[in-house]
Amino acid sequence: MSLSGAINKVKIARDKSEKELLDFLQKNGYKGDASVQVGNLIEFFTITPTSLDPAGLVRKIEHLLNVRDERVKEEIKKMLPDKDAVTISITENLLSVSADLNFWYKILRHYYLVGKKTSNLYLLMQLQMILPDLMREIEALLSAIDPIKNGQPIGDGIGAMVAGKLMLNSEKKPVAKDTVFSEVKYKNRTLYIVKAEGPSGNVGQVGKAIEYLINDYGLKPSSIVMIDVGGKLEGEKTGEVAEGVGAAIGGIGVDKFKIEEVSTKSGIPLYAIVIKLSLAEAISAMTKEIAEAAAKTQARLDSLIEARTKEGDVIIVIGVGNTLGVGQ
Amino acid sequence: MSSKLFKEQKPSKVVTIEECSSCNLKMKRPFQPNDYVFKEGGNCQKCNSKMMITSIYKEEIKK
Repeated sequence: MSLSGAINKVKIARDKSEKELLDFLQKNGYKGDASVQVGNLIEFFTITPTSLDPAGLVRKIEHLLNVRDERVKEEIKKMLPDKDAVTISITENLLSVSADLNFWYKILRHYYLVGKKTSNLYLLMQLQMILPDLMREIEALLSAIDPIKNGQPIGDGIGAMVAGKLMLNSEKKPVAKDTVFSEVKYKNRTLYIVKAEGPSGNVGQVGKAIEYLINDYGLKPSSIVMIDVGGKLEGEKTGEVAEGVGAAIGGIGVDKFKIEEVSTKSGIPLYAIVIKLSLAEAISAMTKEIAEAAAKTQARLDSLIEARTKEGDVIIVIGVGNTLGVGQ
Repeated sequence: MSSKLFKEQKPSKVVTIEECSSCNLKMKRPFQPNDYVFKEGGNCQKCNSKMMITSIYKEEIKK
């Protein structure tokens, strides 16, 4: 594929995603043309704090991300004042796809134009070399639009789905922004299940939730188990379940930091169960093989709890991921 | 809409699975707007108990 052809494809993808977002707003009652507001939100940027003095950097990043999220949510609520949390979250997710596509389009175009302007063949060659991977990401972002606008679960929601099932028939209490927990009795142990609140398209603040449960709510868990999707390598099978240790959570690193910090400070073993899938599968509509991995993951969790904890123990189980289309 | 810009995707549809907690009857139907996993579903055709949506996923349409 030629560079100019690829840039054109990314531009078409970016424009399509923006049109889908505008159509979604119109369908949900926005009167008039929202293209200026949407354009401003797509271009909205976040300046990461300086790392010259890295102490307290995560706290600064968390603060900036909270400010950004609140600002974006406010702008969307202004456009759709009477809409429920699910519709607002869908708009946020669609906006995020458009912003990502816009970012890639502009980066690609920038290096292409600089390469041409300065006759820098090596820059153009590097661009050409990363193109197949980049185009896969663009295609994945495009394939996320349909499930998001229809409120369907995406592959990334499988961890939240496993947690949601465990929470059924238990009281759900808010524990952090867009995050809930339940207390569940299980094989003479007490499980505290945490997930983002569905069926909105949230990832919640599970790091803050765990901090609260241990530092303020007074839990003394013998283990923390995190369930999330894990990027599969080419050749690995989608829906395979694997087990390990560590904080199984993606994102910029704020939640990961908080969970690692609190578990290390209190000496709590941190276990991880991951469901293998590709980036495209994580942000596209959940497939049958991913949905069927929920039962396998539950079985893995059962055996982990039986093997690594004893009766009377308190265990925190976190279902990580975007909980769009997944309740609890 | 996205498929034509890149390689041709296999045709697929999104389905909703409802399960009865009393008799374990499973029912598959096309996804409808406002469906979500763990939402209360319709009445069970076999025992008339309330069903629950247990899964929503995309599957290929076999020719």
